[in-house]
Amino acid sequence: MPVLETKHFGKLSYEADSELEFPLGLPGFDDRKRFVAVHIVENDPLIYLQSLEDPALCFITMPILSVDPQYRLKVSGEDLGYLGLNSTRQPRIGDDVLCLSVLSIRETGPTANLLAPIVVNLRNRKAVQAVATESGYPHQFALMPQETPAQEALPHEAAIC
Amino acid sequence: MMSRREGETILIGDEIEIVIARIGRTRVKVGIRAPRETPVIAREVKLVRDENLAAAAAPPAAAALSGLLARLQPATGRARRR
Repeated sequence: MPVLETKHFGKLSYEADSELEFPLGLPGFDDRKRFVAVHIVENDPLIYLQSLEDPALCFITMPILSVDPQYRLKVSGEDLGYLGLNSTRQPRIGDDVLCLSVLSIRETGPTANLLAPIVVNLRNRKAVQAVATESGYPHQFALMPQETPAQEALPHEAAIC
Repeated sequence: MMSRREGETILIGDEIEIVIARIGRTRVKVGIRAPRETPVIAREVKLVRDENLAAAAAPPAAAALSGLLARLQPATGRARRR
């Protein structure tokens, strides 16, 4: 079983067949193509995406349906090709693909990127960060909004007027 | 602002050429010729790149995470689509 020395988790052993392959890397990390998903029970629902090529590179993610149970996944034909999926229909989260949202921890609170979910084909472990250009989903969705509930009910654009 | 028809071209400086290749019902196909050193990407891809860089810069420190986790459960709900 391969063992990886990581910055945040120390030594990490993983099954060779649990490796995720990002043929294009991720935007900003185009040459990082191999990751493993690390699940620590106490930190559920978080899933860490640890690079196998850079011990210091680790994304914090969570299942996109935990952020938004109604999330509608739309993967472009090109991305479906990279995933090795049939381009005639959209993949189903849970059945065909694992779908994760990348979290950013900011001073103003954590946000989830719903614009570009990580999509993993469960059958061949190929993965892409699928930019949903026409979805209207935000790239910084506040997980713990600071506003009062009344303001929170308004669309973001209206709240800042 | 500039109006163009299908097949027409816009020049930006001497080296960047934008061709309106096809106008569909809801989308426009644009051809872009630019020097190799000028990156051409959709704005969303830049947003995602910046977001990834920010996400990777904040390491998963255990203390910050336990605070996040404690507060995660009640706060997650349905995201709005714009």
